Amino acid sequence: MTESDIAAAVDANAALIGLPLHPDHRPGVLRYFALAAAMADAVNAVGLGPEVESAEVFVPVSLGAPE
Amino acid sequence: MSTARALLDAGSQAISAAVRARETTVQEVVAASLARVHTTDPRVNAFTAVTAERALAQARALDARLAVGDAATQSLPLLGVPFAVKNLFDVAGLTTLAGSKIERDKPPATADAVLVQRLTAAGAVLVGALAMDEYAYGFTTENSHTGPTRNPHDGTRIAGGSSGGSGAAVAAGQVPLALGSDTNGSIRVPASLCGVFGLKPTFGRLPRSGTYPFVASLDHLGPFARSARDLALAYDALQGYDSADPSCARRPAEPTAHLLADAARHLRVGILGGWFHDMAGPEARAAVQRVAQALGATDVVQWPNVEAGRAAAFLITNAHGAQLHLQDLKTRPQDFEPLSRDRFLAGALLPAAWVQQAQRVRRRYAEQVAQHFTQFDVFIAPATPVVAPPIGTEWLEINGQRLPARASMGLLTQPVSCIGLPVCAVPVWGVAAEGPNAHLPIGVQLIAAPWREDRVLAAALALEAAGMVAAPVASLLPLP
Repeated sequence: MTESDIAAAVDANAALIGLPLHPDHRPGVLRYFALAAAMADAVNAVGLGPEVESAEVFVPVSLGAPE
Repeated sequence: MSTARALLDAGSQAISAAVRARETTVQEVVAASLARVHTTDPRVNAFTAVTAERALAQARALDARLAVGDAATQSLPLLGVPFAVKNLFDVAGLTTLAGSKIERDKPPATADAVLVQRLTAAGAVLVGALAMDEYAYGFTTENSHTGPTRNPHDGTRIAGGSSGGSGAAVAAGQVPLALGSDTNGSIRVPASLCGVFGLKPTFGRLPRSGTYPFVASLDHLGPFARSARDLALAYDALQGYDSADPSCARRPAEPTAHLLADAARHLRVGILGGWFHDMAGPEARAAVQRVAQALGATDVVQWPNVEAGRAAAFLITNAHGAQLHLQDLKTRPQDFEPLSRDRFLAGALLPAAWVQQAQRVRRRYAEQVAQHFTQFDVFIAPATPVVAPPIGTEWLEINGQRLPARASMGLLTQPVSCIGLPVCAVPVWGVAAEGPNAHLPIGVQLIAAPWREDRVLAAALALEAAGMVAAPVASLLPLP
C-alpha cells in the first residue's frame, strides 16, 4: 500500500464506523495503520487452503451444570 | 534484620514454613511487606493501591486460627504469603483500573477475581494492586497517568510491561508473589527485565474470571516469584476450571510443586533459531547459550512461520483490543494513554480480511509447531531482545536493525503466546561482563507443549539448582 492508499483507507474506514480522528492523532494513526498493513502482508503471504480453520473456536453456552 | 523481613527475602515457601513452625506470625510478615512497600515504592512506583487494612485483618484472622491449632489453616500451602496483583484483577472495594484514567469513573469491584480468591483460600494475603500499561497495551509500564514504574535493579531503566508493577514489586522484595497477565509477553517481558521468575501457563489453563480483558483469544494470567519452587507453589494454588471464563479448559488441576530438579534430566531440550536468534541482541544470545549448556541442549531448531505468527498476534491484538474500547475512542480519545492511543485508533480501522487471515495463520502455525514437540520436550529462546532500556527510549538497535523500542520488547514473546504454549521465564545474570548493562538481568523462555507446565518448571528448577538462574532482591540504590 502506498502512503496515499493508507491515508485513503484510514479516512474512509474512520468515516464508515463513525470514529472522529483529531488532527493531532492522525499522523500516529497513519503510522500504525501502515505497520498493520505490513503485518497483513506477512500473514497474507502464508498460503492457506479452505480446510484451515480459525484459531478462535466457539464454545456453546448452557446454563445447567457443566457436563 | 528481623525474622519477618528476612523471610520476605527468602520467599513464599520459607514464609509458610516459618509461620507453621511458629517462628513468626502472619501479622509480622504482612507488616514487614507493608513497611517495605512504604519505604521503597517512592523509588519503584510499582503499587497503585495498598490494601493495608484488609491485609492486616486477614493476617489477624489467620493468626487467630493458628493460635487455636486449626489444622486446616496450618496446612495451607501459601500460609501468610503477602502478594499483590496487576490492577486489572478485580479486588473487592477497589475500582479495577487496568492502568487507565477512563476506568477511574467506574464503581469499585464487588468481589475479588477468581485467582485472587484462590490465593486467599491458600492462605496468601493481598497487600495491594500494581501498575501496568494502560489496558495492557504496552511492554514498558511508562504509564503517563501514574508515572513510569522503575526497574528495581536500576531506577533509570524500565521495568518492562505490561505487568511492570508485578515484576518490579517482586524484584524489589516488596512481595514474594505477584499476579500479572500476558497477552503478547506481558508476564515474560517484565520478568526478563526485572530479573524474576514468571510463568505464563497454557492458554485456557487459568480462569480469567473477574479480570479486565484485553484480547479474549490471547489473554493469559500467571504468577511472578523469586524462585522456581515458589512459582510452582503459586501455580498449583491457582489451577482449576471456572465456568465464568469461556476459554478456561475443563481440566483437573495437575500439581507441580512436588517436582524435583532431577525431573529435568530426561527432558529433550532444543534451542530455537531463526527469528529467535535474529531478533536477539548479544546479551540475549549469551543468556540462551548459558541455559542451553546447563541443560545439555545442542540442537538448534527453526519453527516455520514464526514471523507470520508474530504478525498474526499483532493484528488480532490491534483489532480486538481497539474494538473493546471503540466507544471511548470515539468520545474521549484525549483520555487514553498517549503512548498507545494512536495504535488503538488504527486498530479500530483494520479490514476484517486481515484479522480473519491472522486467525487462520495462527491455527496453521500452531499445528506446525506442534510437530516439533514430537522430538523435543522443551525449547529455549530469549525472552527479550535486550536488557532493560532507559526510561523514555524510543528506538532499539538490534543486530543492525533500527526498531521502535516499545513494540519491539515483545518480538520474542509474541510468537509463543500467539499459540498458547506454556512458558517459564527464568532470570540470567552477568551476561554483559562489563559496560553499562553489566548489572542487569535478562530472561530466557523455557517453552513446552500445551498443558506441560510441569516440564518448564522442572527445567527452571534444574537451572536454579545448578546456580544458572536466580532472582535476588534488588539493592534499590537511590536514583542518581
